[in-house]
Order: sequence, then structure tokens, then C-alpha cells
Amino acid sequence: MNLPLPSIILLLFFPGGLFLIASGLVYQWADRKLVARFQNRIGPRWFQPLADVFKLLAKEEIVPTGAIKGLFHGLPIVALASALTAALYVPLAGFNASYSFQGDLIVVFYLLSVLTICIGLAGANNISRFSIIGATRTLTQIFSYEAPFLLALLGPAIAAGSWSISKINIYAQENVWLILAQPIGFVVALIGLMGKLELPPFDAPEAETEIVAGALTEYSGRGLALFRIGKDVELVIGLTLISALYLGGLANPLDFLWKTVVLLLVTAGLQALFARLRIDQTVGMWWRVGALLGLLQLLAIILGRLIGPLF
Amino acid sequence: MPTQEQNQKFIVPIGPQHPALKEPGHFEFTVDGEIVTAASVRLGYVHRGIEKGTEDRTWTQNVYLLERICGICSHVHVTAYVVAVEQLAKVQAPPRAEAIRTIVAELERIHSHMLWLGVAAHEGGFDSLFMYSWRDRETVMDILETISGNRVHYSANILGGVKFDIDDQKRDFILKGLEFLEERTNHYMKIVTTDETFLGRTRNIGTMTKEQAIELGAVGPTARASGVTIDIRDSAPYSAYKTFPVNVITDETGDLLARFVVRIKELLESYRLIREILDHMPEGELAARIPRRIPAGETIHRVEAPRGELFYYVKSGGGDKPERIKVRTPSLCNWSSVINFAVGHKLADMPMILAGIDPCFSCNDRLIKIRRANQSQVWTWEDLRLHGIEYYR
Repeated sequence: MNLPLPSIILLLFFPGGLFLIASGLVYQWADRKLVARFQNRIGPRWFQPLADVFKLLAKEEIVPTGAIKGLFHGLPIVALASALTAALYVPLAGFNASYSFQGDLIVVFYLLSVLTICIGLAGANNISRFSIIGATRTLTQIFSYEAPFLLALLGPAIAAGSWSISKINIYAQENVWLILAQPIGFVVALIGLMGKLELPPFDAPEAETEIVAGALTEYSGRGLALFRIGKDVELVIGLTLISALYLGGLANPLDFLWKTVVLLLVTAGLQALFARLRIDQTVGMWWRVGALLGLLQLLAIILGRLIGPLF
Repeated sequence: MPTQEQNQKFIVPIGPQHPALKEPGHFEFTVDGEIVTAASVRLGYVHRGIEKGTEDRTWTQNVYLLERICGICSHVHVTAYVVAVEQLAKVQAPPRAEAIRTIVAELERIHSHMLWLGVAAHEGGFDSLFMYSWRDRETVMDILETISGNRVHYSANILGGVKFDIDDQKRDFILKGLEFLEERTNHYMKIVTTDETFLGRTRNIGTMTKEQAIELGAVGPTARASGVTIDIRDSAPYSAYKTFPVNVITDETGDLLARFVVRIKELLESYRLIREILDHMPEGELAARIPRRIPAGETIHRVEAPRGELFYYVKSGGGDKPERIKVRTPSLCNWSSVINFAVGHKLADMPMILAGIDPCFSCNDRLIKIRRANQSQVWTWEDLRLHGIEYYR
């Protein structure tokens, strides 16, 4: 489905910009509520994420001693901007992506990583010991899940024969759902997304019982709000990406809604199910299991493409 | 004392204000990357001067003061005190009172262990277990509220006996609650011993051998998890434990997993014990008369608190107020095991190793030490009193 709107509106209001931030907050609420219900808690009210953002925006931002001021203020903006930019290339809300070119899959992938790297840098910019340990863990974790996650996104690209998310989306709509053809890739991608978003059990970088809030410990006002919005946006983009690639593509808003919500339900369930992994366990798991599974999936696809035409 | 060399090390401070700690304490972990190379503990942030306070109150008033030493094992503190005073006064509490004391003590152990299970799971980032175990803990809190009227400070004990009876209606309520709890406890046992992610955080973490446990003076479930058969309910039975013996639960491995297993098995043992006492409740009075002035003398009494051996020393000068009461709480005995076994583990394991001994900070603080560089002074009681008067003038 195409939107007959000028680019500036596409960028700032719908489906990018404001709409994206709003849906990020809604998905954050849904995620928190679902995890809460799985844990037999009540969970937050629907406007809680929005209230949090307003509260943080109104708060004084304290720049701690020893931090480089420019970086301290700049990193949250870069983080949010990169997440919002990534949204331009994905079929958000079931509409065609605003922009598309060969290789935008890789661009989106790295734009999403910029957010994580910004969080790591923001932690390393401080002299707080919790921040530094959190930053170390964030950057360690990015090195562990990044490769398997990329391998998992490669599968659909190879199947569709294109590096463009929009083309893969169209391919996915016309063919059998790739979750059936490449189940291992789907699992790796979904868990990779959880690692990317630092959701439990991969929340060692912000494990509150060890290092308070990890890399973002020293952030209090606007900066924290921007980082949090950035993460929410990343959650929406990640869910969109995986549903577009693996769950038969996104043809219309309804398609988008039910597929992403189902994915969210699964991730929320996984969050409630496990104890937090130590950072060494996370790294070990991704390289010993995740990367191997990703490679196995890739091998299966290549073999399939070689053998397939023979029959 | 911090030297130049030590200052250059990377020290992670945990506390006095930290999300992992529910009470103030201060821990310094020197880390090399993620590995802890040294650990130290500093206590004394919540010293309340209760021991000194007891000397200004009558024997009866002290029952209420000592109950407030701990918010979790409140009953067991009073039991230790009350039995010690009864020993001094040569009064024997009636058997029914002793049975009720024991039932409340075991219910308290259940709520304490379930609380610990949740806290320890939370420290390991397993919030689902935390939420579920605390939800189920409400059952035992309801039982305690039904039989005593209070959720935390039950005020079950008075000098010479207990305050309330457990009739048939309350008995049925307890039994019904225990049935639910037993089912849930078996479920938690299954989770703790089979969940792979959780086992990864508990197996072979903070391992303490039997010899080390004895050498470091560990007590309670922490020591029992290392295979030390130490349980005051068994080795020096008091109250109804004389007629209703306890099976001491031990485990051989001594790691965090063993501490989980021992505590969960103790829950099951407590259910059994409560049922047995309820089935054979002795008839009779609820309290014996006790004189207002306790004869001069000194005595000790030990009880098994949920965290381990609790030790009371009581000295009477023959008046209506005690001359000295000394309390040694189990957490104090277990700190050395934390500090010794933190070294070599990862920083991520620290909260769980800390929680593994079920620490209780406010009850083990005995003094406040104010750290100022190169300045130390000793104040007598009189100095402190004058300082207090000056301070609040």
C-alpha cells in the first residue's frame, strides 16, 4: 500500500516521526504490561510511558563532573536520530517504505546499531564506575549478537534475491512464509532483537542489582528521555523488520498490527521465562550457539538453492 | 587504610544506597574487568542502640522493643529473650504456650524463606520467580494475620507464655494454607533445580566446603548447605522442639544452588512440623505467672532463627529492668563467608552471593564508625550523652 503524501509529512508525522514515537511508547507499554501480567503483576496504565517521557523532559539534566559536555548532550540526539532514520526504509505500519534502494537492509541494520554504540559511548563518557562497567558490557554484547543477527537477516535477502527491504517484503507476501522455510533464522533473528534491545534475559548491561542502570546511570533528564524513546522506536522497527522478513510481509496496517503484536507477545513471554544471563554467558551463547545456528541456516539456504532446481 | 596503590584499582562500590540492597550496607569490590579480586564490607549504617535501650525499660516493655530488632524474624528474637527471662525467674511456660510459640516460629521461618527466595531470584534477574514467590508468601502472611492480628510483629510472646490461642477454626485455616504452600514449594523446587538459565547463575557459585564453613563460623542454612549439621532446634532443643524433633536438612555441595535447595527443603520440613504440632496440641493454660522483679543472675539462650543461630545473653540485677542484654544475630556470623568467597567470581555474581546468606543488616549493626581520614577518637557513654544533649539543643 502506498501513501499519497508529500515527503515532509512522511518524514515528520506519518508513518515516521511523531507516529513512530507514539507507536514506540504504545509498544513499550504493551511490552511492560504483558511481562507484568505474565509475572502476575498489574502492570502500568496505558499512558505510563508517555508520562515517564514528560517527567524526564521536565527534569533537570545534570552533567556529571568528568564528562565531555558536548558528547553528553549530543549522543542521545544522534541515537534517536539514527533510530528514526532507520524507520524510513522499513514498511512501517504496513505502508510501503518511504525510501528504498539496493542494500538498505544493511543500512537499517547499522543505523540500529548506532543507537547501541551511542549508549556505550555515553557510558564510557562518564567517570561513574557503574556507567563504565555498563558501557563495557553494552559494547561486549553488541559484538556478540551482531554477527548472528545479521546472518539471520541475510536468509530472507538471499531467498528474495534482493538487498532491499521493500523487495523482500513483496517477495515475502507472494511466497510461503519464510518462518516455515527458515525456522532457525527466525529464532536467531527474534532472540537477536531481544539482545539488541537489552531485554531480559540479555539485560546484563543494565542489570540493576549489579550496576544500577548501566551505561545510562548518570543520565537524568532529556538525555535519558531521548535514549528511551530511541529504544522504543528501535523496538517497533525491529518488530516490523522481522515480521516483514519472516512473517509473510506487511501488506496493510492490519497485517502490521497483528503480526507485530504476536511477535511482541512471544518476546514478552521469553522475557518472563528466564533468569538474567551473565555477560560471559551471553557472549558464549551467541558465539557457540547463535552464530552456529545462523551459519547452519545459511548453509541450508545455499544448499536448497543449489539442489532445488534439480527437482 | 587506603594507600596510593589501592586508590588506582577499580573499585565498584555497592551501597549504602544501591538497588541490590534493601537495607544499607557498604561493600567494596575491587574488580579486574568483570572478575572480583578483593572484597570488603562495612556495616553500621542502621545502628539503633537497642541493646542499650533495653536497660532503660522494664522486662515487659523489652518484649516489645526486642521484637522490633528485625522486621522479618521478629518472633524468634522475643522467643529467645522470653525463654531466657523465664530461665532466670525459674518459671516454666505451659506446654500449650510452647507449642504455639513453635508454630508461630515455624510460620515465621516459612515467610522468611519465601521472602528470601524472591529476593535471591531478583538479584539473579529472575523476576518471575520473585513475583510468584512473593505472591504465595501472602498466604503465610494471611495465616499469621489471622492467628495473631498482625502481619509482621505478631506479639505472640509474653513473659511466661503466649498471648493468643489457636482454636479449631484457626487450625483449619493454617492447614488449608499449608496445603497450597506445599504444592507451590514443590513447584519452586522443580524450577530452582531444573531451570537451565537459573542453574547457570547458581551452580558452582560461591562454593564453601564443610571445613571452610566451620572455620569461618557460618551458621544456619548457609552452613547447612555446606554439609555442617548445625541446627539449634536439633542440637539444643527448646520450647516444643523437645517433643517434636526436627529433621536437620543439609546439602553437600555448598554452592548457591545448595543454599536454595536447603532453604526450600526447610520449608517442606516446616510444613510437616506445623502439621504434627497441630495434630498433637497439648491442652492447658496459655501463660504462667511471672514476677515483676526477676531474680539476680545471668543466662544465655540460643534459638534457631530463619537465618541461623540467634544468641541472647541476659543479665538481671534483681530489679524490674535488665542490667544487660546482648544479642548476637546470625547475619554477623555469615559475613566472613561472603567476603571470602566473593574473590575470584564475576561481578554479576556478587548480588546473588550477598543474598545467598540471607543478610539482615539492621539487626547486626552494633556500632557506628564514622570514617574521617587520620582522625579517630573513643567516646565514653558520658561523652556521647553530652554530645547528644549539645547536638539537639
